[in-house]
Amino acid sequence: MARGFAVPLGSVIFAFLVGGLIVAVTGGNPLAAYQGLLCGGFGIGCANGENPALQISTTIVFFTPLLMTGVAVALPFRAGLFNIGAEGQLLAGSVACTVIGVKFSSLPAPILLPMVLIGGALAGAVWAGIAGVLKATVGAHEVVTTIMLNYVAQWFVRFLIIGGPLQLPHGFSVSPPIGAGARLPTFLPSGDNSLIIFGLPAGVYRVHTGLLIAFVALAVFAFVLWRTSLGYEIRAVGQSQPAARYGGINVPRTVIVTMLIAGAFSGLAGAIQIAGVDHSLSDKYFNDTTGFDAIAVALLGLGSAVGILFASILFGALHAGGSVMQSDAGISSSLVQVVQALILFSIAANFLRLLRFPNLGRRRAAQPPPGAGAKVT
Amino acid sequence: MSFLSDIGHLLLTADLWRATLEAAVLLLLPALGGVISERSGVVNIAMEGMMLTGAFFTVVADLAWHNPWLAALVGIIAGGLMALIHAVVSIRFRADQIVSGIAINIFAAGLTLFLVNRIYGLQDVGHVGQSALLPYINIPLLDQIPFLGRVVFQQNVVVYAALILLVVVQVVLFQTRLGLRIRAVGEHPQAADTAGINVYAIRYGAVITSGLLSGLAGAFLAIGISNTFVPNMTDGRGYIALAAMIFGKWRPLGAFVACLIFGLGQAIYDNNSIIHVSQYLLSMLPYILTLIVLAGLVGRSIPPAADGVPYSPGTE
Repeated sequence: MARGFAVPLGSVIFAFLVGGLIVAVTGGNPLAAYQGLLCGGFGIGCANGENPALQISTTIVFFTPLLMTGVAVALPFRAGLFNIGAEGQLLAGSVACTVIGVKFSSLPAPILLPMVLIGGALAGAVWAGIAGVLKATVGAHEVVTTIMLNYVAQWFVRFLIIGGPLQLPHGFSVSPPIGAGARLPTFLPSGDNSLIIFGLPAGVYRVHTGLLIAFVALAVFAFVLWRTSLGYEIRAVGQSQPAARYGGINVPRTVIVTMLIAGAFSGLAGAIQIAGVDHSLSDKYFNDTTGFDAIAVALLGLGSAVGILFASILFGALHAGGSVMQSDAGISSSLVQVVQALILFSIAANFLRLLRFPNLGRRRAAQPPPGAGAKVT
Repeated sequence: MSFLSDIGHLLLTADLWRATLEAAVLLLLPALGGVISERSGVVNIAMEGMMLTGAFFTVVADLAWHNPWLAALVGIIAGGLMALIHAVVSIRFRADQIVSGIAINIFAAGLTLFLVNRIYGLQDVGHVGQSALLPYINIPLLDQIPFLGRVVFQQNVVVYAALILLVVVQVVLFQTRLGLRIRAVGEHPQAADTAGINVYAIRYGAVITSGLLSGLAGAFLAIGISNTFVPNMTDGRGYIALAAMIFGKWRPLGAFVACLIFGLGQAIYDNNSIIHVSQYLLSMLPYILTLIVLAGLVGRSIPPAADGVPYSPGTE
């Protein structure tokens, strides 16, 4: 276990060191920058009187979809598939949730809420399923197909809400709001401004019940992977396709099912963002990067449930911290992206071999290198 | 039916094809880079980031020195340096090349935005003066050819450079010893190594070349087509170039055809107001077409055999 934690921890430290160096070289104060990040992410060491509870709440709001999309990347990893398409699948889920939530806005919550969530999950599953089917039938590389599907989804969202059928009449680039029954409740009552919690009205804390769904998703991931025959098949296919085939596993079917499940996780994450946080599809979603951050989450988390949990907390905190860093320390929040990229570089450079993802990055089935003896954690 | 005749008229205008060629070249340069890199066996999905980096540093240099040639050179080198990171991480450290590529793209987006804020404050970067842009040059005599002269010979200097590079890359890759070596390294590095070819040197060279070409595309975008840097101004063009590379089946001329198709879609939209299809639906086309090609409906597109597989001597 010690070795398992050493590499991701080392990568994070490396990334922060180099990130700090970049800040220093360009004339900024790295310590002030990281103090801002820490304050914004965890409410610790705030210089300008930020409310710690509010910061933690913001981190949790960012953390929720990261956890789910992180799972959506990690599960295919186990099958030797690289799902770069979590972003597109998330957008598909957001679109489905919005469309259903707007069209049936008068339905009561017990009916509408399951509809928008299931609709989102299904849309995500279909989006990922395209890549899965193409991989399983004609061998089209999932990295390339999911990249293409990401862009199709992104442009489709722009089409929908800029002059398209989902744009709010006479509005800006935003859809009509989803019905009240389609919204995930927040943990704290949001309507009542007289209720003061941690010094602020309860309504400002946006932590919502989607968090519970995210935890369930993580548990499902761990259960499916380690306690079901499907999980066994996924891991077997990931270890060696020829061996899995020889062992009687239907490899194309496993590939497709894996992608469907992964897409459902991502799509659900997108639906939860609409149902729990934004309540409408807006131009904010053009620049959403959750599905790409998820790649870093899955890699940093070594593809394990516990790892994904911690990695999601880290990246949720980084995103929440970025804006405080910008306002308090005057350091652009884009430093967060720089740090994230550095984490990816350092993990890619030394960890993938340690975990030994077979086939990763290879376009056709290849034998794992004979020297690699490391066990999958 | 007036719609079809409008389209017909549009397709007969030289300006449309001129715009098509210009849009195509912007995609062609990174696509050529991708072809070279992947032919040598290194998966490259980082053209987007290399282009963006090139565009940014081109504008920084041009604003400082008011010299488009020097600025373009800076952009080219910046793209090459980004590629060098990809090369070191994926060749020297045998990292997963897709993760490295994603990291490059995120790094470029983050770093350029970060530097915009550090150097120029939170305002925009500022505009490059007309005299400091990469010039449009009419080729004497040839530009007088009816239709063709307007389409091909009244273009930006980068367009000419790109067309020459297209021929050079096609010839080098398929008619020379160097090209044979690049392809050998991409198909079967062990065999190439045994035959005395330096696998690492070829791959480093190929990846860095892809960065130089992408950097040039970034320079063209920033101070040829536009006159400033805007955060994330490449807006997915590096990925369309990736699509073009696959669409073109990892061949320079094939990629060029794909770029022309994608460029035509762009030009039709930019040049007219008669098509009442959303710009955003049209923007999906390159990606959907590539998915169709990948699905094998228009002939299979198969990458080099060792594409994406890090090479270490002694494994086989």
